[in-house]
Amino acid sequence: MKRNSVMGIGATASLALILAACSGSDGGDSGGGDNEDVTLGFFTDKAAWESSFDAMNEVSGEHGMTLDFTGYSDQTAFDSFVKQSFRTDSVPDLFTWHTGGELADLVDEGLVAETTDLWAEAEENGLVPDGLIDNYTYDGKQYCVPLNVAYWPVYYNIELFEQYDLDVPETWDELMQVADVLVENGEVPFHQMNMIFEFVWFQAMLAGNSPEVYEGLQTGDASYTDPEVVEVMEQWKQMIDDGYFIDPGVTTDPQALLANGDVAMAYFGTFFTGQLTDVGAEAGEDYGVFTMPNMNPEVENRQMILETSPLCVGAGSENEEAALEYSAWWMTNEAQNTWSADRGDVSFNPNVDVADPTLSALVDEVNSEESGFTIQQRYLEATPVPIYSVASEIFGEFVTNAPDPMPGLERLQAEAEDYWAGQE
Amino acid sequence: MTAPAVQNNPRDTYRWSSRAFVLPGLLIVAVMLYLPFVWTSYLSFTEYDGLGDPELVGLDKYQAMFTDAGFLVSLRNTLLWVLGTLVFPVGIGLLVAVLADGIKGSFWYRLPFLLPYAISGVAVGVIWTFILQTGGALDEALTFLNVPGDRPRWLLDAPLNTFVMIIASTWQAAGVNALLFGIGLQSIPKEPIEAARMDGASGWTLFRTMTWPMLAPLTTVVVGLSIVGSLKQFDIIWAMTQGGPGTSSETLALTMYKETFVNNDYGLGAAVAVFLTVVTVAASIMYLRRQLSDKKEI
Repeated sequence: MKRNSVMGIGATASLALILAACSGSDGGDSGGGDNEDVTLGFFTDKAAWESSFDAMNEVSGEHGMTLDFTGYSDQTAFDSFVKQSFRTDSVPDLFTWHTGGELADLVDEGLVAETTDLWAEAEENGLVPDGLIDNYTYDGKQYCVPLNVAYWPVYYNIELFEQYDLDVPETWDELMQVADVLVENGEVPFHQMNMIFEFVWFQAMLAGNSPEVYEGLQTGDASYTDPEVVEVMEQWKQMIDDGYFIDPGVTTDPQALLANGDVAMAYFGTFFTGQLTDVGAEAGEDYGVFTMPNMNPEVENRQMILETSPLCVGAGSENEEAALEYSAWWMTNEAQNTWSADRGDVSFNPNVDVADPTLSALVDEVNSEESGFTIQQRYLEATPVPIYSVASEIFGEFVTNAPDPMPGLERLQAEAEDYWAGQE
Repeated sequence: MTAPAVQNNPRDTYRWSSRAFVLPGLLIVAVMLYLPFVWTSYLSFTEYDGLGDPELVGLDKYQAMFTDAGFLVSLRNTLLWVLGTLVFPVGIGLLVAVLADGIKGSFWYRLPFLLPYAISGVAVGVIWTFILQTGGALDEALTFLNVPGDRPRWLLDAPLNTFVMIIASTWQAAGVNALLFGIGLQSIPKEPIEAARMDGASGWTLFRTMTWPMLAPLTTVVVGLSIVGSLKQFDIIWAMTQGGPGTSSETLALTMYKETFVNNDYGLGAAVAVFLTVVTVAASIMYLRRQLSDKKEI
C-alpha cells in the first residue's frame, strides 16, 4: 500500500512536470481589454534603441497606449523568435520586421494585420512621402507601417577634403578624381566591408548606371550577366585594384575610421549619423554628407537608396485593434517629431523638422521636386532571400579579393533563374 | 466457484514504483533530446522556411547539400579543424602536462594555460580578431620588430584564416587538456615508472614505453572530446569571420546555422545537422571502438 502511494507520487510528479511545461500563461502582460489604457507587447531586434522607445512611451501614454519593450540584439535570434511565436498563442501585438521578401512571407501566411486604411489616411494627411507605400504593398493592399527610414548618402571627412583642397563631387568623374588625389597622397578614399554591408557599392553603382536594370534584378526582368551589371563589376574591380577601398580585413568601426581620417568617405545609411555622434564627431565640422553621383552621366534622374523598417501588427494578437491604433499614431507629426528628436535621425514624415542641419539639408534636397531624385529600395530588402544569400557570399569574396567577376555573376544569375522559375 | 484472490507481489509493486520514478527522466530525455532529433530529421526531407507547414520534398535537400560547392569547403574546413585540434590543443596540452609533471610548483606552471578556458568562445574570437585583423596587434608587432615583407591577410585568405582560428582555439583549449593530462599523469602508479628507470629507461624512451601506454585511458577521453568539439566548432569562427569571406572559413556547424536561420532554408539546415550528427556519432564510435579493442589486445 505504501509502495503504491510512492508509485502514485512518482507518476503524479511526472504528469505535473509535463503539465507545467505544456500549460502556463501566454506570457503576455498586456493589459488588453481596457480601451482607456493599454500596454502593447512590443518585440524588436533594435535592443539598443530602448531609450528612444521609452521616450515614445511618454508621449503615447497620453493617448492611453504604451509599449512593453522586449529588445533582441541578435537579428537572427529575433527573426526566429518572431516566426516561432506565430506557432503559439502568444502572437506579438507589435514587432519590427524587414521589408521585401521577408515581409512578403509573413503576408503570404496571413500573419500580419492589414494597414490599408491607415496608409490611405496617412497619405491623405501628407504624413508619408510619395513612393514609400510601395515598400509595404502586396497584391494592392498594405501591411505594417514604417518604423523609420534611412537614406543612403556618402559621408566624408571634412578635414581630409580641406587638407587636399577637394570639392564635394557632383558627378561620378569628379568622385573618381577626388579618389585619385587621395590615393596619390597615401590616403584611403572609401570604406567598404566584406560582410553585412558587402553589397552596398554594387547597389550604388548599378542604380546609378542603369536604374532599369537595378529594378529589373528585383523582379527577374534583368539578368546579372547583362552588360550594365558587368560594367559595374568591372568598374568596382578597377577601383579595388587601384586602392580606392580600405582593406576589408580592418574591422575597426567605420565611424571611428571616418572620424579619424583613416578613410575619407563612407557610403552608409543616415543611421550612420548617430554612430558618428557617439564617437564625438560633429556634423558640418568633422564630417559632411553628399549624395552619390550616378555612375552613368546619361541617367537622367539622380538615384537615392532608401531603407525602411516596418512596424507590424500580429494578425490575431491579443491587442490587435489597439496595436493598429498605435500604428496610425506612429505616423503622426507628434510621434515622428518625438522620434526624430530623440534618435537624431531623419523621419519618413515630411512635416518633421530634422534637428541635424546636415541631415535636414539632405532630406530637403531629396524631397524637393527640382532635384529630381528617384527613390530606390535597398538591395538587401529588394532582393529575394535565396538570391541575396548567394549574392552576399559572392560580393563578400569580391570585396576581399576582387576576382574576375564573371563566374560570380553567372552563379548569381543561375540562382536567380532557379528562384524566378519557382515563382511562376 | 470463486476466483482465487490475487496476491500483490511485492517485487512487482517495487518494479512499478521504480518505473514511475524513472518516468520523469525518460520523458525529459525523450522530449528534450530524442524529439528534436526526430523533428530535425523530418525537416531535412522538407521545404520549410519557418512559417506555415513543412512540405515533403524527399531527398532534394540532401542532393542540394552534396552538390553545393560551399558544402565541400565546409567539409574541408571541418576536417582541418579536427586535425588541427588533435595536433595543437591536444598535443600542446600533453606537452605542458608532461613538462610540468613532477616539478616543484607545477600548478603555477600549468595555471596560465588554464586561464583562457574561463573565457567564452565569443570573447576569445573578439580578442583574436583584434590581434589578427589587418593592421591589428600582430601586424603592428611585426612592423615594430622590423620583420620585412608583406603582412599576410590573416583572416581574409583561405585556408590561412582557418589555421589562425585553430591557433586561437588552441590558446583557449590547451590548458584544460594540460589539466586533464596532468591528472592522468598523477594517477599513474609510481612503481612501474621507478622500475623502468632502474632498468635504465629515461626521457623519450620512458615516455614512449611506459608513460604514454599508461596514460591511454585519459588520452581516449581527451581525444574523444576534442574530436567531437572540433566537429561542432562554431563560436570562435562566428565571432572572427562569420565563415567568410564568402564561405571560405565555414565549417559544417556554421553552414547548418546559416542555412537555417540566416537563409531561412530549414530543410537544408536540417540536412546538414543530420549529416553532422551522423559524422560526429560515427567518428566517436569508431574512435572509441578502436581504443577499446586496442585495450583488450593489451
